Amino acid sequence: MSGLTTMAAGFPEEQVRERARTGAAAAFPPADTYGAGVFGADPSTPLDDLDVARLVPPVFMPRRLEKLIDLGREPEHTDVDLTAAVGGFRSTLPLFLSAFGSTRIGSRELGVAASAQAGRLGVPMVIGENMVPVHGFGGSPILARISAYLETVADGVGGVVVQQSTEDADSEVWNLVYSSPAAAPLLESGRLAFELKVGQGAKPGLGGMTVLDAAEAARLADRFSLHDVFGTDARLRCATPGTFTEEIVRQQIRFMRNNFPRARVWVKFHPGRDIGRAAEVAWAAGADAVTVDGAEGGTGWAPTAFLRHVGLPLAECLRRIGPPAGCLLVTGRMWEGSRVVRSLALGASAAGLGRAALVAVAEDPGAGLLRLAECLALEARLLISALGKYAPADLDADDLWWPGTRAADRVADPVRGG
Amino acid sequence: MSESPLPPLAEHLTARSTAAAMRVQQEALQAARDHLRSLGFQELLPPLIGPVTDPGGRGAKALDVDFYGHRYKMMTSAILYKQASLRGFPKLFYIAPNVRVEPAETAGTGRHLVEFHQIDVEVAGATRAGAMGVAESLLTHVVDHVWRAVPETLTELGRDRESFAELLAGPFDQVTHHDAVAGLRSVGHDQNPDGEIDWAGEELLSHKAERPFFITGYPKGSRGFYDREDPDNPGQLRNFDLIAHGGFGELVSGSEREADYATIVTRMRESGENPAKYAWYLRAAREGIPGSAGFGMGVERLTRFLTGLDALWQVSAYPKLPGVATP
Repeated sequence: MSGLTTMAAGFPEEQVRERARTGAAAAFPPADTYGAGVFGADPSTPLDDLDVARLVPPVFMPRRLEKLIDLGREPEHTDVDLTAAVGGFRSTLPLFLSAFGSTRIGSRELGVAASAQAGRLGVPMVIGENMVPVHGFGGSPILARISAYLETVADGVGGVVVQQSTEDADSEVWNLVYSSPAAAPLLESGRLAFELKVGQGAKPGLGGMTVLDAAEAARLADRFSLHDVFGTDARLRCATPGTFTEEIVRQQIRFMRNNFPRARVWVKFHPGRDIGRAAEVAWAAGADAVTVDGAEGGTGWAPTAFLRHVGLPLAECLRRIGPPAGCLLVTGRMWEGSRVVRSLALGASAAGLGRAALVAVAEDPGAGLLRLAECLALEARLLISALGKYAPADLDADDLWWPGTRAADRVADPVRGG
Repeated sequence: MSESPLPPLAEHLTARSTAAAMRVQQEALQAARDHLRSLGFQELLPPLIGPVTDPGGRGAKALDVDFYGHRYKMMTSAILYKQASLRGFPKLFYIAPNVRVEPAETAGTGRHLVEFHQIDVEVAGATRAGAMGVAESLLTHVVDHVWRAVPETLTELGRDRESFAELLAGPFDQVTHHDAVAGLRSVGHDQNPDGEIDWAGEELLSHKAERPFFITGYPKGSRGFYDREDPDNPGQLRNFDLIAHGGFGELVSGSEREADYATIVTRMRESGENPAKYAWYLRAAREGIPGSAGFGMGVERLTRFLTGLDALWQVSAYPKLPGVATP
């Protein structure tokens, strides 16, 4: 290292030096932290608009009067009914378990533990992409997670949603699940859905990324594109994001409905600038749910530039979608009641727990997610009742306020991005 | 795996009805070959495995085969090979064995077997109407021939020549998918307008008819990427099914084919396929495959229609039902 020092204050000299030392590896978080934890948007990234919004209870509460008349006594927060219709399923809470990818942390014991607890909660569960090309169907965590879920879920609530990526399509994951005896109880009770994954929040516009050691890399070389960016034996595994146009999304949804008539159809979008139109196309083609994955993090891997600088914030996505024409689901840094309730006020029917669920089951594989949900549900009941409402569906944009702006200006006119 | 509703194989192979069905099937195949050859068709023997196969639909899966370390598929249909063969063989047909791992729920339809055969026909430069004409003349010829060749067998099986009189008098009727959907919905059947006619709907239509009829113009999203989209009616395909009367349902699926490389790639994406795995076929398409039209006629479905037997497994010597492990 030469003795040169720059004199420009604020110049990111250390970052430049890191790149000079490690090259392409510096575009990512440190590779030795991969797979051991969850990651997300840089702490230096400002709070998003959803965090800035305040929930604003009114003084006069005609809905509380309705509830009072209904009950014949003063309503309490325990009178809030959190039951929600989530993508064609009945859920006990306006929550679902988001997909974990095919990485070690997301796919092994913790995934199974999370599945059992999601089942016990009676909330839907999404199983992530790229499991079968990586593990094979028999050896994949899909079957273990479905059976853990089925062991604990009560009749009439919840449901299981299985994603399929372009690489999964080669392995015919949906066909395998649809004809698998393990999934038959789900099909027979109308609790199986397939999710078309159009994009993801951690790296909008890109496909899934994981880091593989040398042995895994050799095993998967014919199924994924692998890149030497770390200067070690480790390889960056890139799945393709897939090419989508309006017509491709429309027809893929129709294909799913045609080929798997007994399964529900979910569609997951990254926070794209045309999210309003994308959601509209998906609902019109018959999607039972549209999930918007907020530009946040995950269990896989993402370049730091994407975590810091790419994708619309979730609140802006909801604004561009406007009043939803179907079931709208959101994910992205959901872990406590207020962010969930604010999302519901902006039109969502439920919020997905991703990294928070993993951290919770890591804290206690027996009941961590149950307790996390218990706390979140209490907060949600308190917040919703404070707004003088007793069901999530009654929330609306009047329940929110942003500093310096009328709520109506933020939410009333859906903007169609392009 | 479900318990087998089939008799033991040795019992099935010595059953009187199996012998009768095989006699009828043999005559039907002979008649099909004679008829197609008289029209100038060349018979080829089809491939059994390949790096890709017809992606199909309705939840049917291809069987994987380990081919010297490469992942190959058993043919669900040889459509891609038919198209690729047209430059050398502009009028071709196969009697093709196919394997489709159908969803276990289809075991009870009486119309699905995992192993089955198709009379698979393709004609370079043909239109949908041309392919429909070949299918109609083929079915008519086969029915006429079996009633001449083995009338006593058909009678023994309980078939009545009268129930084929309308078929033999021709021509077959035609209805668009749009009108078929409207008809079903008008009688309270909740048919999805964007998809295949479902099994129950097809059976309703089939029972109402006096002779076979064509349904044309299925919507995109219900069929494979190789069925050509109608340039005059975007979203509709230039395809057809031939439905037998009397509740026997679909005998034939056919279409004009996409031959344009960029359109094929786009259509693959629309059906959720990964174009990269179709490399050999796309290379052929880039180099130019002729426009064509063709169809597949299910041999076992044809035999069941001719014999009037209840279920498809009764007309296969070695039946394999979806989800049922049998020899």
